[in-house]
Amino acid sequence: MVVRRPQRGHRYTESPVLQLALQGWRSRTVGLLLMLAFLALVGRSFYLQVIHNDFLQEKGDSRYRRDIEISASRGKIVDRHGDMLAVSTPMKSIWAIPGDARTMSTPQKRQLAELLDLSVRELDGKLASEKTFTYVKRQVPPETAERIAAQKFPGVHQEKEYRRFYPTGDMTAHIVGFTGVDDKGLEGVELAFQNSLLGRPGSRTVIRDRRGNIVEDVGATKPPQDGKDIHLALDSKIQYLAYSHLKAAVEANKARAGGAVVIDARSGEILALANWPTYNPNNREHLSGAQLRNRAITDTYEPGSVMKPFTAALALERGKVRIDTVIDCAPGRLTIGSATISDAHKHGALTVAEVIQKSSNVGTVKMALGFQPKEMWEMYDRLGFGQAPNLGFPGEVNGRLRPWKNWRPIEQATMSYGHGIAVSLIQMARAYTVFARDGELMPLSLTRIEETPPHGMRIFSPQTVREVRIMLEMAVQPGGTAPKARVAGYRVGGKTGTAHKLEGGVYARKYIGSFVGLAPISDPRLVVAVMIDEPSGTSYYGGDVAGPAFSQIMGGALRTLGVAPDAPLQVAEVAAGKGRL
Amino acid sequence: MMIGALDAPRRQVAEIDYTLLWSVLLLLFTGLVMVYSASIAIAEGGRFTNYQPAYYLVRHGVFLCIGLVAAAVAFQVPLALWQKSAPLLFLIGVALLAIVLIPGIGKDVNGARRWLPLGFANLQPSELMKLFAVLYAADYTVRKINVMHDLKQAFLPMFGAMAIVGMLLLKEPDFGAFVVIISIAMGILFLGGLKARLFALLIVGLLIAFTIMIIVSPYRRDRVFGFMDPWADAFGRGYQLSHSLIAFGRGELFGVGLGASVEKLFYLPEAHTDFLLAVIAEELGFFGVLAVVALFALLVQRAFAIGRQCVQLDRLYPALVAMGMGIWFGVQSFINMGVNMGLLPTKGLTLPLMSFGGSGILANCVALAILLRVDWENRQLMRGGKL
Repeated sequence: MVVRRPQRGHRYTESPVLQLALQGWRSRTVGLLLMLAFLALVGRSFYLQVIHNDFLQEKGDSRYRRDIEISASRGKIVDRHGDMLAVSTPMKSIWAIPGDARTMSTPQKRQLAELLDLSVRELDGKLASEKTFTYVKRQVPPETAERIAAQKFPGVHQEKEYRRFYPTGDMTAHIVGFTGVDDKGLEGVELAFQNSLLGRPGSRTVIRDRRGNIVEDVGATKPPQDGKDIHLALDSKIQYLAYSHLKAAVEANKARAGGAVVIDARSGEILALANWPTYNPNNREHLSGAQLRNRAITDTYEPGSVMKPFTAALALERGKVRIDTVIDCAPGRLTIGSATISDAHKHGALTVAEVIQKSSNVGTVKMALGFQPKEMWEMYDRLGFGQAPNLGFPGEVNGRLRPWKNWRPIEQATMSYGHGIAVSLIQMARAYTVFARDGELMPLSLTRIEETPPHGMRIFSPQTVREVRIMLEMAVQPGGTAPKARVAGYRVGGKTGTAHKLEGGVYARKYIGSFVGLAPISDPRLVVAVMIDEPSGTSYYGGDVAGPAFSQIMGGALRTLGVAPDAPLQVAEVAAGKGRL
Repeated sequence: MMIGALDAPRRQVAEIDYTLLWSVLLLLFTGLVMVYSASIAIAEGGRFTNYQPAYYLVRHGVFLCIGLVAAAVAFQVPLALWQKSAPLLFLIGVALLAIVLIPGIGKDVNGARRWLPLGFANLQPSELMKLFAVLYAADYTVRKINVMHDLKQAFLPMFGAMAIVGMLLLKEPDFGAFVVIISIAMGILFLGGLKARLFALLIVGLLIAFTIMIIVSPYRRDRVFGFMDPWADAFGRGYQLSHSLIAFGRGELFGVGLGASVEKLFYLPEAHTDFLLAVIAEELGFFGVLAVVALFALLVQRAFAIGRQCVQLDRLYPALVAMGMGIWFGVQSFINMGVNMGLLPTKGLTLPLMSFGGSGILANCVALAILLRVDWENRQLMRGGKL
């Protein structure tokens, strides 16, 4: 700006004083300094916005650019027929910015509290938080959430989440398990198949404001991959039979607990697995450890006489005895070293078949003492005792099978009738598949087998097994230990077990009564194992406490599967108390 | 350019400095738009504003109207009257600064007591004090013009007055206003002919004091130079500045577009007041910032040009007032923008004419009306008229 000196008028003459005071260089200096300052601003702005901007944008992205997950829907768990056992339903979580939400009027608060089924005091408690985020309530049904959204309460927001629902409830609780709020499998199949159920969450990149609201999407969205559905081998109808008859048996015998397993001997599929006590996976508020225990898989017990048929089978296999070889079981006692083994009921001379039928300890021990410890150990080991059944199920136990090198004769003797060896119910049920499969041990499967079932591992010859089946069938005939286990219309066979419980290394006056059997004998299809823990009713014998439940479950399951009857449809009336150990 | 118009043959001569007027109106209007843009999110999301998105827009608009009416009134007041009442206005200003410190009367916001509640709005005396400081310092200098060479008579009384004002301002605290008012007073004294050697001494003295302070206390050094590396404590003391710088970086050449700032979404505190330029930088880009800087530069240039014309016309008081206004707007806008860009340590200071704030807008409008009045009087005199 050039300031020209005005040309006219004497009034604008220069005053010497003024000239001295307001020297032009002073205003020019100040003006110049200010202009330089402005120039510096322009330079700095250019540096920040055009040269250094990458760094600054990166800093910005790190503060408000977020990859957010698009949650994948968890896979369903269905039974072999596709019936829902576990399914995810969309729910909403209601959350709030407490500072904003506190501005709600009292009627608004009352309304929100009512919609959420909370008291106003509870609501106020949640909103008292000094944080900028608090959950007011999670897992709210979508209809309720919609009504809340329509009210536009200040500071109240919602987010999508899933809730796991178990239509079959306590009936399948132990096998299906459950998830936590964050979709993490905590028990059962939910835990065992967590990885395939979970699916892969997708993601989108967004810019959020400081309060967490999404402002805009940037970049491409990766769609979520929903989790895979799991088809269990379970048959809901058979599971229901197992569950309800087990429950009835536990209650009838005033027992502490119980377990039942149904296995399809042709494929090794687990058609049912029930425990008592159980719980409702949809409402786990007052859950105890006892309810949670999946006993059939995670608990071991000494099986007792259920073990005897394996001893007999080995003796037959090795040609040490034949089915009609007579063993002298009198006088019902046998002393080995310092210990004495006795029968519950004294028997005289019994054939091998009768030893099993009447469950003579003495007769079994006499067969067992003819084996090398290693022979017996190898059989047990091949039957899967002492090793987890590899179902992929959480908490599977190995059981206890001590190494043969340390066996003393008395130990070898007691193991032959199922003491000094600990197994889980599922292990025992699986071991019995050798009798159903002409000598082959089947691998078990929790999931439905789509193609041809795997081959079993041969342990006994078909001839041996056919003879053992005759013995097992005799055990449920009159004169056997478990006439109550008979099933109308089908030939069944099985073995009872009544074992003292070990408490702190000592045998207590508490029992576990069990029954493991198979049917139909002419062409075995199913193996059913029932175990009753601490029966305290009129009887504690396996044939009495577990036999009837076995009969109900086996009969119902065979009819459900449409297995052709192989026996006349007569109702067996057997006097109670006739069968014994 | 206005002078050029004078040379044009027989045309109606402009009555006022339209370049100045338009640059001021453009800054005011841009300020209104950007205050709305910067405040919309916090207004909509805040309890304080009752969730009304236009909360700040409405208030800023009302302040603007009040400011423009006040400016129209101020334009009618001759400079002679301003000069006559300058000491009184200065005393009123000092009194207001004192009153604001009285507990129970002054209003605290974020630990600073700068506001006098008037019921419908809050008055910020420090903003008015900037205007009064210009008027008073110019008057003072005119009265002392013949003794400017005498340090005792010329400098010490002003030094005393500024010491009082400075203490009151630092007590609030309002360090930004303190710097601006001291700059105005010293600048006018310098223009009025106070010995250059004195200023040299002052500057050297300040530098020495500063150096000693830094050597003695590393803590203070961190406080003062913290702004140079906001990333060292980006979520603590450097939080505001780091977000301001991010806003600049995001703006690039042309900006993310009006209304599209992310920083204003609760990240950048004081986006509609002290850090309005950061939002401008993000939404309108480098060219937006360039335009704002250019408009302020133009404003300052006009103020000095008007002041120099006064010198030609032998009008000492209006000359110092005009240049004083130039110093005021120049220094304050430079500090504010420098703070936004991380060139200067962060101090609370608004962007004149643009930032949200009633007292500031009012004082700025009146000040520029006086500047236009100076120019108008110049034109009257040049046409041979009488005041």
